[in-house]
Amino acid sequence: MGRPYGLLRAGFPFHKTLSMRRTTNFPIDIAIGKEGRIYIMCRSDGTAMIRKYTVEDEDRGTMGGYGQGEGQFTWPVTIISDSEENLYVSDEYLHRIVAFNSEGEHIGTWGEHGTDPGQLNGPAGIAFDPDENLYVVDSLSHRVQKFTKDGKFLLGWGGYGDGEGEFNMPWGVAVDELGDVYVVDWRNDRVQKFNAEGEFLFAFGKSGSGNGEFNRPAGIDVDQHGDVYIADRGNDRIQLFNAEGRYVQKFLGDATLSKVSQAYMMTNASPNRMRDMADLEPQKYLRQPKSVAVSDEGLMFVPDFGSYRVQVYQNMAVPLTEQEFSPPRRSVTLHQE
Amino acid sequence: MSQNDVALMAHLMRRAGFGTTRTELEAYVEKGYENVVDDLVHPERGTPIDEDILERYFGSEGGYVGTWIYRMLNSRCPLQEKMALFWHHVFATGLSKNQHILASTNQIDMLRRVGMGKIGDILLELSKDPAMIFWLDNNENRKGEPNENYGRELLELFSLGVGNYTEDDIKNCALAFTGWTFGQPIPLYPHGYYAPPFLFVEEEHDDGEKTFLGRTGNLNGDDIIDIIAEQPACARFISRHLYNFFVADEPQVPSWNVTPPQDPEAIETLADAFMASDGDISRVLGILFNADFFKEARFKKVKSPTELVTGILKLVGTFQSGPEPGMNQYGSATQLMGQKLLDPPTVEGWHTGKEWIDGGLLTARVNFAVREVSDASKPGIQDIMTRLKHNGNPLSPEAFVESCLEFAGPLVVGDTTRQYLTEFAEANGEIDFRDDAVAEENQTLLVSMLQLIVASREYQLG
Repeated sequence: MGRPYGLLRAGFPFHKTLSMRRTTNFPIDIAIGKEGRIYIMCRSDGTAMIRKYTVEDEDRGTMGGYGQGEGQFTWPVTIISDSEENLYVSDEYLHRIVAFNSEGEHIGTWGEHGTDPGQLNGPAGIAFDPDENLYVVDSLSHRVQKFTKDGKFLLGWGGYGDGEGEFNMPWGVAVDELGDVYVVDWRNDRVQKFNAEGEFLFAFGKSGSGNGEFNRPAGIDVDQHGDVYIADRGNDRIQLFNAEGRYVQKFLGDATLSKVSQAYMMTNASPNRMRDMADLEPQKYLRQPKSVAVSDEGLMFVPDFGSYRVQVYQNMAVPLTEQEFSPPRRSVTLHQE
Repeated sequence: MSQNDVALMAHLMRRAGFGTTRTELEAYVEKGYENVVDDLVHPERGTPIDEDILERYFGSEGGYVGTWIYRMLNSRCPLQEKMALFWHHVFATGLSKNQHILASTNQIDMLRRVGMGKIGDILLELSKDPAMIFWLDNNENRKGEPNENYGRELLELFSLGVGNYTEDDIKNCALAFTGWTFGQPIPLYPHGYYAPPFLFVEEEHDDGEKTFLGRTGNLNGDDIIDIIAEQPACARFISRHLYNFFVADEPQVPSWNVTPPQDPEAIETLADAFMASDGDISRVLGILFNADFFKEARFKKVKSPTELVTGILKLVGTFQSGPEPGMNQYGSATQLMGQKLLDPPTVEGWHTGKEWIDGGLLTARVNFAVREVSDASKPGIQDIMTRLKHNGNPLSPEAFVESCLEFAGPLVVGDTTRQYLTEFAEANGEIDFRDDAVAEENQTLLVSMLQLIVASREYQLG
């Protein structure tokens, strides 16, 4: 499906909450599989695993584990799924990419620590392009590199700095359906957009907490309409931009108790009483989200890192044709047409 | 750079901080002792720790104790971190009771934030701290049904010491803190900890007349703290705590009302500074670190487990280049040695000095130290290798021992220890660290020598 001429942004309501503490402690990222399957990457000191889950709030067990051996992770950052539902995980401590199939079988590991072209030094964000080549944000070398799925180096760009095409410990990366590449420039509090060859197109965002500003942004995703979602970790929110980098809206969190949480609470009288005594306002908010992922069905999944759950929103945007969407205006107007 | 200057600076940084690398130590010496003390007591001058890096690689998922130890090792304001530990000793609040890690860690953050300020501000923050309120039951201290636990410990263990107040003072102190509680936090399950906020519940506060330490009126908690902060007994009590923590081991706190300080003049000096500065802890610390009684107190204290662990990690250079996986293991290490951070055993805090050591605990200390220095690839060990290369090779056994003691401290050892170390060195004859052909063997020798040093009796003292 091609990019729509315009969008009627009919709304983006909260949809549901998934999972809870113990099942998904410190969810750092999420990959969207097929038939309602999702894969939640969890990371804490001495623990790392992929929690296989469903959008119906069902636990399907774990994959991988903490360590330095085959099929293990130490500091996993990003998890993504390819067209066959194979999963790829970046590990910024072990400087490698680990792959599993959807059954959790380890199907490959690649990556050599170093700063030469094709070597990895703190890989953070990873994303497939439309041809399923893999972009890797090589954070400690302040660059982006492109590989085949099995690790053959294709190209790279970047370097330390705050100029165009330079980075300061970048984190997330996303590729839109046209092949353009968005890179979250973590310590420069901005996002840069490049074409598939690494040519700088434009940047947006600056340090701050206002709309369109960032406080150490982390993960990113792009939906089928070209809209860009960024986990603004330090501001405890997700921000949505259009493909030109114009701020659209933010998501602060609207969590409810997930299905499994409610089942848990039904057998815990004391916490229920404590909840009744507490100010519950804070429970809905996102806490330090480090990533975001959007499905083709318009579901936005936000691993709510500090609250051990996933918040899900439903995009109600409707594609518009040229007849339904007037040409771009240079100036704002007060006319009501 | 005289050996004495180096030794004195190492002493200062062991006590006012958590040790140094050799390179840091030499930079401090270059700066001059009094200048370094001045910087230490002005933490705002230091470069703050890189919170972004810490959060990115070892944030809330990392575990607080590991993070705290990282801060101890990397803070450019080490005294600020040491003071958080000091107050954690004094205002001992146990996680085992409150079971709310966020409340406990918020308390440590509070101690770091205010711990070098004025005593009145510190005690006020403490009295509003939810972890402390719950630990000493002030959440159950209400008008008409007072709970005196916090009021009693505030006077007995946190500010004045036994013998400087009456039972009536305790009762009235407790009444003044009625209604000081916290808002119920959202429970841990299913979505994690939420911080409890301090809450003053007016209808639970006793507005009646109270007499406290000779002062009468409708006193509230703020008034009580103001009165406490003016007391010479408070100045002496806090000064003795500071002496015990930074200078030399005193007997355990419960015996202070019957056992006089080992150095009454030192306590008086500190107390005078306390009174003259309106209880300004930084001012008192400045006097303390510049005093002869401090400078002459080298190796007169048994290192706490936290000091031992951080000192070893500094020596070998752990976390020099940023957070690493597994940092929480070092919290487990101090726990194994008898100091579970965030969870002191009682409101008296940890018993210190020689009570840090018994057969089992000593084994844990030695095992940890020996294990940590066994990895020759660590930057601190490699640094010592490099220094030995430029240290008048070939080295005689005696010179090898002396150099290793110098770079591992400098550490002063007794004749017996020196004899053992020298016997070990003599078994290998002269060593030439310039000879790359035997670099691996030399490295093994160095590691063995360091293992013997950190296992020595003297290394237990700071």
